[in-house]
Order: sequence, then C-alpha cells, then structure tokens
Amino acid sequence: MKKALALILAMIMLLCTASFAVAEEAKTLTVVAWDATTTPYLVAQKEAFEASHPGVTIEYVDVASQDYAVKTTTMLAGGDSSDVFMVKEITDLLNWQAAGYEEPLNSYIEASNYDLSGFAGIESNYAVDGEQYALPFRSDFWVLFYNKDLFDAAGVDYPTNDMTWEEYADLAEKLSGDGVYGTHYHTWLSAVVNWDVCDGVNTLIDGNYDDLAYFYELYQRLEDAGACMAYDEVKAAGLHYSAAFEDGNVAMLPMGYWFVSTMINAIKDGTCSFNWGIVSVPHKEGVAAGSSFGNLTGAMINAKSENKDLAWEYISWLAGEEGSIATATTGTRPAWVSETVAETMASADGFPTDDASKAALVPVYVGIEIPASEHSSEISTVLNEVHSLIMTRECTIEEGIEEMNERVADILG
Amino acid sequence: MSQIAQSNAGGIRPNHPALAVVGRVLLYIVLIAVALFTLIPFVWMLSASLKLDREVFSYPIRWIPEIFHWENYSLIWSKVPLLNYFKNTALIAILVTCIQTLTSSFAAYAFAKLQFRGRNTLFICYVATIAVPWQTYMLPQFILMRSMGLYDTLWAIVVLQSFSAFGVFLMRQFYQGIPTELCEAARIDGLSEYGIWARIMLPLSRAAIATLVIFTFVGTWNDYMGPMIYLTRDVNKTVQVGLQRFIQENSSDYHLIMAVSVCSLLPVSIVFLSLQKYFIQGIATTGLKG
Amino acid sequence: MAQSLETNGRRLPKRKTTRYERKKELIAYSFLAPNFIGFAVFTLLPVLFSIFLSFVKWKGGSFDSMQWVGLGNYAEIFKTAKVAEKGIGYLFTKVDLGIALKNTLFYTLITVPMTLVCAMALALALNKAVKGAVAFRTVFFFPYVASMVAICVCWRFMMMKDGPINQLIMALDGSFNKSWTADSTMAIWSIILVSVWRNMGYYMVIYLAALQGVPQDLYEAATMDGANKWQQFTHVTLPQLRPTTFFASTMLIISCFKIYDVVKIMTEGGPGRSTKMLVTYIYDEAFSNFNYGIASSIAMVLLVIVLIFTLIQFSMEDKYANN
Repeated sequence: MKKALALILAMIMLLCTASFAVAEEAKTLTVVAWDATTTPYLVAQKEAFEASHPGVTIEYVDVASQDYAVKTTTMLAGGDSSDVFMVKEITDLLNWQAAGYEEPLNSYIEASNYDLSGFAGIESNYAVDGEQYALPFRSDFWVLFYNKDLFDAAGVDYPTNDMTWEEYADLAEKLSGDGVYGTHYHTWLSAVVNWDVCDGVNTLIDGNYDDLAYFYELYQRLEDAGACMAYDEVKAAGLHYSAAFEDGNVAMLPMGYWFVSTMINAIKDGTCSFNWGIVSVPHKEGVAAGSSFGNLTGAMINAKSENKDLAWEYISWLAGEEGSIATATTGTRPAWVSETVAETMASADGFPTDDASKAALVPVYVGIEIPASEHSSEISTVLNEVHSLIMTRECTIEEGIEEMNERVADILG
Repeated sequence: MSQIAQSNAGGIRPNHPALAVVGRVLLYIVLIAVALFTLIPFVWMLSASLKLDREVFSYPIRWIPEIFHWENYSLIWSKVPLLNYFKNTALIAILVTCIQTLTSSFAAYAFAKLQFRGRNTLFICYVATIAVPWQTYMLPQFILMRSMGLYDTLWAIVVLQSFSAFGVFLMRQFYQGIPTELCEAARIDGLSEYGIWARIMLPLSRAAIATLVIFTFVGTWNDYMGPMIYLTRDVNKTVQVGLQRFIQENSSDYHLIMAVSVCSLLPVSIVFLSLQKYFIQGIATTGLKG
Repeated sequence: MAQSLETNGRRLPKRKTTRYERKKELIAYSFLAPNFIGFAVFTLLPVLFSIFLSFVKWKGGSFDSMQWVGLGNYAEIFKTAKVAEKGIGYLFTKVDLGIALKNTLFYTLITVPMTLVCAMALALALNKAVKGAVAFRTVFFFPYVASMVAICVCWRFMMMKDGPINQLIMALDGSFNKSWTADSTMAIWSIILVSVWRNMGYYMVIYLAALQGVPQDLYEAATMDGANKWQQFTHVTLPQLRPTTFFASTMLIISCFKIYDVVKIMTEGGPGRSTKMLVTYIYDEAFSNFNYGIASSIAMVLLVIVLIFTLIQFSMEDKYANN
C-alpha cells in the first residue's frame, strides 16, 4: 500500500511540475472576455491602456460568447486566478457575488477617491447591499437601425425618433416585398418583447406577463404579412442578426447599441456598402419617445487575483473617462457619459452623420433588460422556453402568457 | 424443431431460382437506398462546401454545384487557424491513444490472467463508471484538475481521456478469450509476467488494439465538451471547439462552415479507413458482441 | 460478464500469504497501477464527490459555503410537496424533472428498438455474401466516426424549411411547412433520426460478428425440417442472437440516457421544453443557475436509472449462462 501511495504522490508531483513550467510573466493582467479578437472596443481599450501604462500587458482570455456563462463559471468554481472578468449579465454578477468570487470594491473606491458621478446612478445595478462589486464600462440600450438605401429606393420617409409601434409596423409592411423585409427580429426574447419595460413600471421578473401580448401580436402580424423573416427559419439556420442586416435586404432592425461598432467595421472592411442610420426605438402610446431598455457590461476583480491593485487600476481606468473615450472611439456606448465622451461617440469614424442619429444617442429613459434578483436566471430560463413556444406558434399567445405567469409564480413561491 | 416441421406448408422454397433473383435484386436496392440515406449528410456537406453562399439553400436542391468553388477551401485557412487546431488535436489524440492502449492492456492483463486480492471489486468499480455520464462528475473533476494546475493545458484533455474504464473493459474481454494454458506454458518456459504480456498477449491482441485505437482516436478527436471547458487560450484549442467557434462567428457563411466541417472529418476518416479491417475483426473477437 | 467473473475469479483462500504469493500480487498490482491511479484520481474520486454534492446546497465558491440539506435537493427536483398535492400527473406535465424524464424515456424507447431493428436487418443482409459487402459495411459504419458538431449542424440545415429532407416530406405531404426543429412534435423525432442514423452501423458490425458465430448446422437442421426463411429467422437466428441483443440494448440504453450533444446543437432543448433531456437539465442547473447541489441530485437520478438497466442486463446474462 505504501508503495502505491508513493506512486500516486510521485505521479501527482510529476503532473504539477509539468504544468508549472508555464509560468506567468510579471505585470501581465489577464482579462477574461468574450470574442476578444473580433470585438473592436476590446482591441481599442487594450491599446489605450497599454499606451498609458508602460510595462503592463493586457492578455485577454477569449471565450466564445455563447459559452461565456458556462465557461467562466467553471473557471471561477475551479479557482481560476485570472485577474479581471468581464461581467456579461447582471445575473452572473449576482451569482458570482453569492459564491464569493468577487473582490468587494468599496475600499478601493474610498482609497482612491473614485468619482462615480459619471455613471449617473446605473452603477448601482452592480451593487449588493451597498457594496460595489463591479464597475460598468459599457451601457448598451436598444435603438432602431435602418437601411437608408432601401427607404430611398421605396421613396418612403426615414423613420423618426418619435414613432409608435403601430407606425413602425405600418412602415415595415410598406417596405416589404420583392425580396425585401421591412424589419428583422433576432430570435431572442429581448428582441421581441423586452420593450415592455420601457415604461419604467414593468419588469420581466415581476411575475405578470400579460402586457407582453401586445408585442407578440405585433410580431405575429408582421410575420404573417411577410414583413420579417419567420422565426423558424432564423432559428434553424442559426442566422446572425448582423448577417441578416448586412445582406442589405432588411430595412429596419431593432438591436442593441453594440451593433453600431459592428456596422462601422462592416462598412470599413467592405462586408456591406449601404447607407444606414439609427433612431430611437418606437414607443407605445403613452410612453415617452426616446425610452428604451438596455444592459450593462462591466468588469470585476477576481477575489483570487494576485494583482488586485493593478486590476483595480485597470477597471477604474476602463470605467472612467479615459477608458470611456477609448471605448467610444469604436462606436460603442460607454457607461460613463460626459460631454467629451458624447462628442467622441458622435464623431466616431463611420458613425452616421445625420442629426436624427446623433439625437438618438441620448435616450430619455433606459430600463434594465432583466433586473438582478435571486431568481432572475431561473425566470429567464422559463421565459425563454415559453418564448420559443409562442414564436414557433406551438401555443397561442394567451396560452403562452398564462404558462409564463403560472411557472414564474411557482418560482417566486 | 418439430413445430417448424409442422408449419412448413405455405413456406417459400428457398431454392426457387426466379424468386431468388428477385430477392437478390430487392436486397441490393434496399442496401443501396440505405447507403444513400447514410451518405446524404456527407454528400450535402461536400456539395454545400463547393457552392456559393446563396446557392446552399436554393430550391429545388442542386446536388452537384454548377461551378465548383474550390476557393472556399483556400479561404477558410485565412479565416481560422485550422492548422494549429489540427496540430493540438492530433497531439492530444495521439498521446491519449498511446497512453490509453498501453495502460489499458497492462491493467487488462492483470484482470484477465493474474490473481490478486480485490480483483472483482476493482473490476466492478471500472464497469460501474462506464455507466456514469460524464456530466455528472464534470464539475468535481474540473475543480480537481484546476488544483493540480492542469487547467488550460493540453495535459488536461490527455489525462481526462486516457484512463477511461472502457479501454480496460474492452481489452480484458479480449484477453479473456486467450487460453490460459498459453500463459502457463510460457511461465514454465521461464518467462516473467511482463515477458508474457509483451511477447504473447500484445502480438495476439492486434485486432483488439486496433479497435481501441480507433475508438480512442475518434472519441478524442470528436470530443467537444472537454476541450470547451478545459482549454481557453486560442493556441490550445482543438478542431471541434474551433469549428464551433467558426460556426458562431460566421453563422451565415454556410458554404465555409461546411468546408471547415469537411476538413475536420478528414483525419478521422483516414484513421478509420486504414484500420477498419482490424477494427471489425476486433469488435468480433472482443466481448463487445456480448 | 457477471458469469465470467465467477468462473475466472477463483477465490483466494483466507490464510497467511506466502512470500511468493505476495510477490505475485505485487506484480499484478504493478500491471494495474498505471491505469488505476489515473482512473481513481480522475474518474472515481470525482464520481464519489458528486454523490456527496447531491446532499448539499452549494452555489460554488469556497467549500465553507456548503450547506448540508440531506434529501432537500431531491425534494426540490421532484417538487414532492406540489406533487403530493396535485397528483403524479403534475410531475410529468409541469415539473422540469418529470418532463426531462419523460422526454429522455420517450427518446430511448423509440431509438433503441429502431436502431436494433435497422442494425439487425443490415447485418442479415450483409451476411448473405453480397457483392461489395465491405464497401457497404464501411459506408454504414462511417457516421459513427464523424464528429457530432459538424454532422448535427449539417442535419439541422437539411431539416430546415427549405432543406432537402423537408423538401422530400413536403413533396409527400404539402401541409407540413416548418423546420423540424421548430416543431414541438417533430423536434424530438429529428433527434431520434440523427441518433439512429449514427448508431445503426456500429451495432450492425456487432450483429455481423455475432451472426458469424451462429453454427451453420442449426440452419441445415432447420432446412431439413422444412422450415422456411422466416421460420429459420425466428427459430434459429433470433434466439442465437439474443445475448448480443441484450448486450447491445444495454449499451444503447445507457448511451441514450446520456444524450446531450445532438440535443444541444440541434434544438437546445426546445421548442419550449419539448426536447429537454436529463443531461441538458443537469447542464442548465449547474451552469446557468449555479445550483450544483440540485444538478448533482439530478445526476444521481440519472445514475440510478442507468445502473438499474445495467444490473438488469447482468442478471439476464447470468440467467442465460445458467440455462
């Protein structure tokens, strides 16, 4: 038995030394992010930070966006010591906080006298019981993209910053035909019905989903009229929204602000070549024009990091004015918005030059896509499951909404 | 048998010539139909990989592209570091296959031909874990690997795949079929146990080893979940993870997706086709047939 | 196999082992060690740990944050309180676990016989000295070695509304006008189809091997008795293949219960919950809801089911060996 034990130990030691051979360099900050090589703002941020902090290298750990939650959670659960993790969903942050993976930031904020005012209050979505756990560096809200060339060809006026959903649907129908779709919906729940939270009253975790019917009906009306691609096909083909819009046969596309930088690049590298613009998303009767919903993206320090001070230096820079300018140059909307930052956003190379697009940069209200709560991830699982039933018309809108109400009531207890 | 004898009245005579010919023709028709069905996805994949993006879903379907767009295949090399993925995967697959075959046949020899305490209990442990889905212990395993510092190294996948119970099970079933007298005779001739394993068991088990090599190589090559969870840096990624990434990033370039898929299938096909003779023998001679 | 364990595992008498025997044992252990150490560390240990996890509440992080809940996780996944109140039907229509169980069982109960029938039919056909048997065999087996990522994507495209498979079905029945994977009833069938397509070649090879072991004189005797082809099949071939069928069905059942990648790539469990399987459920609980305890307890349910099937197979084999 002793012999066997000795063998085991020897084997383990052998394995350990083999892996320690890959030692880390000093002054390298590892940052876990998704699609690091293809996302322009990550590239810009890295360049700007390294330029202003000589001797420091940012090394991205690239994770495919679809696998981000699974992968990062496994990494953290396994005790990964990467210094900074990007926070994709607020629910991730909440779960990570509960598991103790995140370094609390209040002491750093006090020590460095960090000014939070530029966030205008949205940073509180990253706080639990008064303790800040991450800083937002990006705040995307949804806007309506449109293909100016298609509108010109049809001789129809461009969409405006003040449109109701009915006006939008009429517009979509008017533009459809001859291989042109008036609008395009990505398969996500958020792309179809999240507009419900724009009124500042409804949320997606309150357990009552009756109001969603309005948006599902609107969608089905457009699908039936052939004014948008059918959900079935978009889903089965795994069609990406950028491919759909860049193909040039889709007139409008409600999508998150992050798509601006994708479009700027697509035009630059010649993937597509039409004129485009953005306007505020349509609104329901009685909801203020310019209301939208959105999500935050931030960065947190891993509690297991060995370079916490450097990591703080990085995330505070990233979320602050300098980082925000770097982010804004690529057409991405930073969470920190000052006058200089807004100016940078509008003057980003490739950003549409019309006044409506510029005006759409400043929404009057931005609701949170799914607010953080103990049950957010379970609720969104249910909503997404039922969403796919309604969208494939496997059940009627009423049945679907009833199922949502029922199952979420179960979760909320 | 008497039952059969009583009920033969309406039976078809097996040696009726005309019927036999019809039967044969029918048999071939069915076989060819099933073969076509089996090959459809591969044919479609190949044909789609040689088309233009917009031709892929043309209606009605055109199986042979109008113009063969071979450039799709040169295009993908600049879009994904496919060569690097191949290198990683090949390295893992070869290492795993070597370790697996060697240690399994070693352990299987002990299980099949040697006496020691706890033999049956240990073997049941092995067999029981074959039945346990990997997903059930994926997380504890990850925590363990991580604490050993194996995370994001190719070694993680190597140790993950190398010690599967299946290999031991398969080799043991095969050794069981080799007469024990052969070992006894060798022992009398003064051969040590190691000598018996090396000079008698190994040469005799060529078919079983070929079987295990194919299973291991193919399994490792096609594994998606393991590399997805354990490998992070792009330099470490394997073909399957790379393929999945490519699909995500180029979701509408169906022709390119299919071209990459065709490339990812090539190495396994080569291994399979070159070893298949032994392989089928191997399945026949190991306990795999029950 | 249980039988072979009995006949070959001669029990060692309980007495003091001599130095010679000790040396022999050490040699045996030295054969075992390289594989066993790896196996124990990377498989056995994690399996045991996940059994433990099914009794605790744990969201990950430090081990201190684990909370012993006993059977609490099991009560939670079976929703015992609600089921007791509303009847067993509630479990299978509303509860995630019940639906996943139902789907997995349905999938298994269809896939296993379909695969075995196809495999046996192909094996019988190829066993008849057909020309090009090797080529056919290679073609039929090929799907088994192809990667699931590439193949499933391919199948998904083919089953799209305008894909070739659908074009075929639409030609037969004009009213079906949907992607398979977007239809609650068809989605699971698309997964079954891909599974049968993939596995039949493998089990065909196993049947082929078994068929070669059927003594020819049995057929000769049957022919002498005047049995026709069908009677030969039911009275000679089938009974002779029974051990193989048992073995193959157990292996298949186990692999069917473990189904994951096909579902993940083809349907992601949808539409709704129509293709939610036990393993996809485990995966969701562990990696999107961070409930490791819950995930492990579902895993245990799966493990118990799989073990029951394995034990049935072993005892059946035993019975046959004794007859």
